[in-house]
Amino acid sequence: IPVLFTAAEPWPENAELYQQLKEEQILLSDNASSLAVQAFLQMCNLPIRVVCRANAEYMSPSGKVPFIHVGNQVVSELGPIVQFVKAKGHSLSDGLDEVQKAEMKAYMELVNNMLLTAELYLQWCDDVTVEEITHPRYGSPYPWPLNRILSYQKQWEVRRKMKAIGWAGKTLDQVLEDVDQCCQALSQRLGTQPYFFNKQPTELDALVFGHLFTILTTQLITDALSEKVKNYSNLTAFCRRIEQQYFEGQDKDSSAAVAARSAKRSLLR
Amino acid sequence: MAAPMELSCWGGDWGLPSLHPESLTVMAYAKFSGAPLTVNTINNSWRAPKGDVPVLISEDIVISQPAKILNFLRKQKYNADYELSAKQGADTLAYIALLEEKLLPALLHTFWVEAENYSSVTKPWFASRIAFPQSLYLPGKMSREALNRILLTRGGPPLYSLAEVEAQIYRDAKECLNLLSKRLGTSQFFFGDMPTTLDAFVFGFLAPIYKVCFPRVQLQEHLKQLPNLCRFCDDILTCYFRLTVSDPALIISLQMDDNLRKSPQHPPRKLTTLKLAAGGEASSSLNRLSP
Repeated sequence: IPVLFTAAEPWPENAELYQQLKEEQILLSDNASSLAVQAFLQMCNLPIRVVCRANAEYMSPSGKVPFIHVGNQVVSELGPIVQFVKAKGHSLSDGLDEVQKAEMKAYMELVNNMLLTAELYLQWCDDVTVEEITHPRYGSPYPWPLNRILSYQKQWEVRRKMKAIGWAGKTLDQVLEDVDQCCQALSQRLGTQPYFFNKQPTELDALVFGHLFTILTTQLITDALSEKVKNYSNLTAFCRRIEQQYFEGQDKDSSAAVAARSAKRSLLR
Repeated sequence: MAAPMELSCWGGDWGLPSLHPESLTVMAYAKFSGAPLTVNTINNSWRAPKGDVPVLISEDIVISQPAKILNFLRKQKYNADYELSAKQGADTLAYIALLEEKLLPALLHTFWVEAENYSSVTKPWFASRIAFPQSLYLPGKMSREALNRILLTRGGPPLYSLAEVEAQIYRDAKECLNLLSKRLGTSQFFFGDMPTTLDAFVFGFLAPIYKVCFPRVQLQEHLKQLPNLCRFCDDILTCYFRLTVSDPALIISLQMDDNLRKSPQHPPRKLTTLKLAAGGEASSSLNRLSP
């Protein structure tokens, strides 16, 4: 549906998505967010090329990855990107009625509130993971001592935020319980349908796919996190279905396929 | 049944059993599920709140956050969600997340950060219920924590000033209220005829916005444009808390406050002077006109 062409140009062929370096640097939560945006754009049938840069976080207008560079505009994070794409006339959720839209927004907040926060907790507040995976990966493109300084700075920021929302006092087991509760809710909502709103995927499907697929395919210190997701067979089937439909069958450089392969290989150092 | 349970939480005003959203959520859930709670509101003589209010004490067990308290009550067989399907249980979690992410920042801002609201209403109210000397610093601490929470969760770039963050959180809160209103529609509670956990949470967040009289009330004005949500709050207050706006003692105290704030002169005084001027017959009709 063409909107105001004076204000909105059509989607160009050279749109780019920026994230951190896939093999050495990117962390679980950022990978999940990036994959969610890639899935969303694939579902809208909009071509995008993934570009990996060590300083992607600093280039982003909001400090968070991923961000897309389209024409002469830069938009970061899934929420604003969905709005931006909608202004260009592409939307996945137009067919939903008002109550369904409310539900979709509520479930997206659930994923952000529980899954993303749990990922951040695991990466930055669980001492073993921090020492063995996060610190080496986060600062890897930079020389010593910059790598340690940047990594400690980020850790301090994330821990402050966790304290403000009351997660600092939680143990790892409690966090895993929350993840289980969230997955249970998602599994119950999905039921036996192919997508959350039956026949057509929406941004909620993209977001859930991004997080669950990343959790399932990233190797951490323990498998506890991915085990929680594997308990729900309809969620794993959901991830496989979206992977097959939107990511495989493309050229070998396709973002998620490579991300999946490299994530599977990402071992603890 | 179970051991006696005591809940200590913040008290209420303006027709509400409590001003604090989390305390209100727990009290509402207890009413819905029929749990026999003794409610102790914090006042000057009570021991100093440790900052983690509301707190449920049952024998030796002390539980502090609303989600944990509700879990405990459910384990004690006080379950308001008994009739819900699995999908409705999932919806409950999702909508609670929506409330916490989108509505809570603006609620915290209205109570604790907005300067006029804080200094004229929130701070005096809370300070009067905390023992000296905590009353000197505890409200300030709660205010700083609220601002901290807002800035850390919502205040990153591209929003660089507090005014921009404020504008964004109020936009989000209004959108959240609209979504809740659409979801509620015309039914009495969110999942049909019986109130559940989600109703307790929504009530806990909405009732303070709805009822507390602040100087700066943009969120309240927006809420008043959504009649089904207002009706939802009023219904719960009348059915479960037996505090109605027509409660005479409350009306008198509200009117007294209004009168103190505005002018101390009552219209009848003007009428008496008119009566003297107008003469005998007109005076009786004027008398009848007086409220």
